[in-house]
Amino acid sequence: MKKGIVALALFCLFACNEQQQPAENREADTEMKKEDSSFLQFTSYYGSWVGDFVAKEYTEDNGDGSYSNKINLVVKRIEADSVFGQTIVAGNKREFKGIIRKKDSVYSFLVQEPGDEKYDGVFEFSILADTLKGSWTAFRKDLPIVKRSFALVKAAFVYNPSLSLPDDMEYVDYVTGKTTEVVEENEEGAKDTFMVDVFRAASKKIFALNASVQELKEDDLKNLKKIDLEIIRNTIYARHGYTFKKRTYRQFFDYVDWYIPVSTDVTAELTELEKRNIALLNRFEKYAEDHYDSFGR
Amino acid sequence: MIQLYRKYKFIRYLLLLLFTYFFWLMLRITLQYIPFNTMASFLQIKQTEVQELPYYLPVFYTHVYSSMFCLLAGFTQFSNTLRQQSVVLHRTVGFVYLVAVLAFSAPSGFIMALHANGGIFAVVFFVVLSLLWWWFTFRAIVEIRRKNIARHEAFIIRSFALALSAITLRLWKVVLVYLFEPAPMDVYVLVAALGWIPNLLIAEYIIKRK
Repeated sequence: MKKGIVALALFCLFACNEQQQPAENREADTEMKKEDSSFLQFTSYYGSWVGDFVAKEYTEDNGDGSYSNKINLVVKRIEADSVFGQTIVAGNKREFKGIIRKKDSVYSFLVQEPGDEKYDGVFEFSILADTLKGSWTAFRKDLPIVKRSFALVKAAFVYNPSLSLPDDMEYVDYVTGKTTEVVEENEEGAKDTFMVDVFRAASKKIFALNASVQELKEDDLKNLKKIDLEIIRNTIYARHGYTFKKRTYRQFFDYVDWYIPVSTDVTAELTELEKRNIALLNRFEKYAEDHYDSFGR
Repeated sequence: MIQLYRKYKFIRYLLLLLFTYFFWLMLRITLQYIPFNTMASFLQIKQTEVQELPYYLPVFYTHVYSSMFCLLAGFTQFSNTLRQQSVVLHRTVGFVYLVAVLAFSAPSGFIMALHANGGIFAVVFFVVLSLLWWWFTFRAIVEIRRKNIARHEAFIIRSFALALSAITLRLWKVVLVYLFEPAPMDVYVLVAALGWIPNLLIAEYIIKRK
């Protein structure tokens, strides 16, 4: 019987000890975090930073680059003073890595892309309040634009099929316009020749047709010009966060609030409905291109 | 008088040259449909009909393939010299035209017209075109069997004016798109009317002058 009591007491003691142990550990944990509180701050840096990637320095005779592209800079992880992430912009998705330094209580990042692709370069940025600000310098000096700046804010990508282009804007293709010659007689009776740029403007139909939620029919598309068809089709890709290689499409989607470039290939993400609509739209685009202004059908 | 005749003849040769050029273009359009393909060219925007109407494809291809034989008549039938030199040639090509139009091209055109792109107006214009085409061609045959050459000529001029809508419709389209760049089906409704109504008016003018 005595033995039994002793055994019970011992058991109690052990049990008490066991309960105390985790409490001690927790204290040690918080102490560690106090020592390196930056760790918490860093995880809040993780994720997508989205905004405009704006040209700052141009070179001569290297063609003409886009003034602004929407960029998604993803901070993936920070280990000690190393940063890992990627950028998605203008149809390119590039990994980067680099270092963090603390300067006057502000962390500044210096990261670079591998350098084996045309538009690779170095990013320098810091995060202040809720904005990631900085600049990019291209490795290559023969690009149209060798330096860009950016001020990005946190944004999370979510696929939402009901999103559409804002209908309070005109959508005009300023990238693939054509120049035509116009001859007019002036007051003295002589002929004046001047060049006029003609741009394609989208119709209001692009707001009415959502190819991610409704099954498109041939009759819906027959009276649409190629520009409308292109926009309706590419809005599907934009909803999935496709980063557009073509400037023609970037000019429409880069300025849309909900659009976040996240991927260079969204084929696997497309719904069956979207795939059917894309096939139909492609067919009509081809038809429009081959036959709209030509003799024949 | 002789001078005027020469000038007139010159214009006729010019028109023949022009016709040859457009005949060539039409031949190239027809070749887009060889070999047979359910998705070729115009059919790319007609898949609803192709899939829902079992008769649409046969009718469509009948129209495409037979129509070239109708245009062939333009080379031989309107030359006075050819007609005088060889009645056999005139009759042979005339027979081909008659069969192509009455049995194939106009009836298939009529059925296609019922499903025309561009809505009710386009449907009406194309339906009337196909009916008139068939009727004028039929009357031309009736008249020649009655040995009434003048009336035969009048009706065949009307008939061929409508056959030429295959070319003029496409020409109007090019002009309208170049000038105004309207939406595709807006153009289509316009050319459904412009393609043949002016042709018929010119035909009536030519008949009246003769």
